[in-house]
Amino acid sequence: MLFSRRLMLGLAIAGTFASAIAVPAMAEGPTEIDLFFPVPVDGKLARDMGTLIKEFNDGHPDIKATAVYTGSYDDTLIKTRASIKAGKPPSAVIMSANFLLDMQIENELTNLDSLIAADGSTKDKFLGQFFPALQGNAVIDRSVYGVPFHNSTPLLYINADQAKEAGLDPNKPPQTWAELTDWAKKLTKREGDKVTRWGIAIPCAYDYCGWMMETLTMTNGGRYYNEEFGGEVYYDTPSMLGALTWWSDLVNKHKVHAPGATPGPAVSTSFISGNAAMMMLSTGSLTYVRENAKFNYKVAFIPRNVRNAVPIGGASLIIPAGVEADKQKAAWTLIKWMTSPEKSAWWSRATGYFAPNMAAYKTPDMVDFLNKNPDAKTAVEQLDVAKPWFATYKTVPVRKTLEDEVMLVLNGKKQPKEALVAAQKAADETLKPYNAETSLKLP
Amino acid sequence: MSLAEPAALPVAAAVPPRLHIVTRFTTRFKASLPAYLLLLPSLVFLALFTYGAMGRVLIDALYQRATPKAPLRFVGLDNITAVLADPAFTGAVINNLIYAIGTAVPSIGLALLFALALARTNVVTSALRAALFLPVLIPMVAASALFLFIFLPNVGLLDYYIGRLLPVVPNWLGDPDIALYAIMIITIWKNAGYYMLFFLAGLQSVPEDVMEAAHLDGAGPFTRFRHIILPELKPTFLFVTVIAILNAVTQVDHVFVMTKGGPSNATNLVLFYIYQQAVEHYDIGKASAATLLTLAALMALTALSFRTMANREGGA
Repeated sequence: MLFSRRLMLGLAIAGTFASAIAVPAMAEGPTEIDLFFPVPVDGKLARDMGTLIKEFNDGHPDIKATAVYTGSYDDTLIKTRASIKAGKPPSAVIMSANFLLDMQIENELTNLDSLIAADGSTKDKFLGQFFPALQGNAVIDRSVYGVPFHNSTPLLYINADQAKEAGLDPNKPPQTWAELTDWAKKLTKREGDKVTRWGIAIPCAYDYCGWMMETLTMTNGGRYYNEEFGGEVYYDTPSMLGALTWWSDLVNKHKVHAPGATPGPAVSTSFISGNAAMMMLSTGSLTYVRENAKFNYKVAFIPRNVRNAVPIGGASLIIPAGVEADKQKAAWTLIKWMTSPEKSAWWSRATGYFAPNMAAYKTPDMVDFLNKNPDAKTAVEQLDVAKPWFATYKTVPVRKTLEDEVMLVLNGKKQPKEALVAAQKAADETLKPYNAETSLKLP
Repeated sequence: MSLAEPAALPVAAAVPPRLHIVTRFTTRFKASLPAYLLLLPSLVFLALFTYGAMGRVLIDALYQRATPKAPLRFVGLDNITAVLADPAFTGAVINNLIYAIGTAVPSIGLALLFALALARTNVVTSALRAALFLPVLIPMVAASALFLFIFLPNVGLLDYYIGRLLPVVPNWLGDPDIALYAIMIITIWKNAGYYMLFFLAGLQSVPEDVMEAAHLDGAGPFTRFRHIILPELKPTFLFVTVIAILNAVTQVDHVFVMTKGGPSNATNLVLFYIYQQAVEHYDIGKASAATLLTLAALMALTALSFRTMANREGGA
């Protein structure tokens, strides 16, 4: 009851705001559009978004875009779904890239193919602007449903001062799991049984934990999920078993990683305060580390066991289903403008995400920026080995089945193998209705 | 009511049975019309925002989709059966019971202690009362964000002080054995000051003359507490207990901010389970069914407590 009441209240308030904004617009004539945007990382993203939208409105007198802050990625999904249900969807949304498949299955997305065709462009030409790694999360059933807006990959951050002190060369960061384990052992400081500095920290909270499991599984040669079909995940596989066993060994065997599940902010705070000598975290945290670290740091690729590979993260621009034609057109203009090389580059410098548009890195401002901040280059270079972010039917609950089990392993309450068997069973159960309608629907 | 009663009685005595009912009804209605009119504004809002939503939940709880693209169909009580069979729901109920008892008992105990210590008004007690009430004024979300940093393993405020004394520093929010208790500490910290207010008010109603008489009869402080103050505070206890239990079910802001029900569902409470079903699983049917079950439990609890209170006022 509380949920519904809160939702209704929220909708009522949103409605009041929407009508308040709509009244002056009708007199003037420009097409009114709303853009829902989340702020997933710490920082001044909301202010930057205001600057960006103001610039767009000044350059497009026939469109009046309003940026509506909608909380986290998850909150943005809730609010978008609520407004679609209420029949008043926003014209464009910055949506977490791995929610697109789920929304497409629920018929909540506008297919962008016709808008691309109306511009006289083709799908290949349009998608060709973006890094190939990003296309997997934007294209569903060979149709375009999203336009990559800001993206990230996981990185290895190293406290260079502590590495030097331990006799390690920070300019030759660890490249394999074996090297990383060795580094972590050398960087861990103990007083008797008590650890005063951890060798490495890897975040594990809902959302981050699944992403890190995908990262470790990929560097171990695995896939995590079926990129072509939303009804399958590969939890109970050798590649994931190796990944989880290694993570568990860092905690329980080598004792170089703090026990238990540690959320992202705790990991970055630990690193900044010198309490963890290395961490694996998103490129989205790079600006935060750059501004707050009082020591020299290095960033490097995520080390491999079998191959170098990382998943992408971040968000795409979408148009929800049910947006009227004129608003659709206006939203499309906004989306193309926001993902153009210049704006993409500007947003990347402001936030720390990398710019999905490849041409952004050829703009003079960006070339300058990369020369001044070579650490930002590592993230872009790692894109060559990046792959799509897991997205399945009911992505969040399917991911959570794995995360709950991983948390038990990191707390030493379960063995990796039995944890993965349990996770696979629970995930298969959640995916069942979708499979009943697709892969198991036989003639 | 007092308007309606005298008008209805003479009519009931005079007319034959059939007519009697109709007339009685219309007369009653006419007489109580102003009362209904006065209630109308609140009724409209209650209907819109409370009963409307409840009705909607009731309907939603009866429908479900078999597969993602299939249309909604009527499934009767299937959603409720599914919720009851879900280990995550039973886990959330058990967590919620531990949480309710583990927060209600200590926070009420502390509140009573504070109230007894600060019952007399002077400069010092006023300042202390304000200090103890302060956590109530901090929004739960802000408090949770603060505690998130206090609980940070190794670098947080708590570990900075307590960590030195312990052989192994616990991961307060990352260990499924500890996380729920960490969450409970925040609730106790936040609510004890609030309940203290009720006990302070309750203490005002302890009759001064009885206390004085007991004093003259040679009753010591403990005897006075046990035989005069505690019995006088019984209604306050009842009221605060109900409020504390309702809070334990309806306040989950800190779970949202700090743990999202994790690790491994260790801090998953019923309301958060409903949120997960509605938002993460996008399963409105199951979310509504779980809401109905919670609502029924809360209503039963409230009805029970009101009856106990009414009994007390009438009988004892």
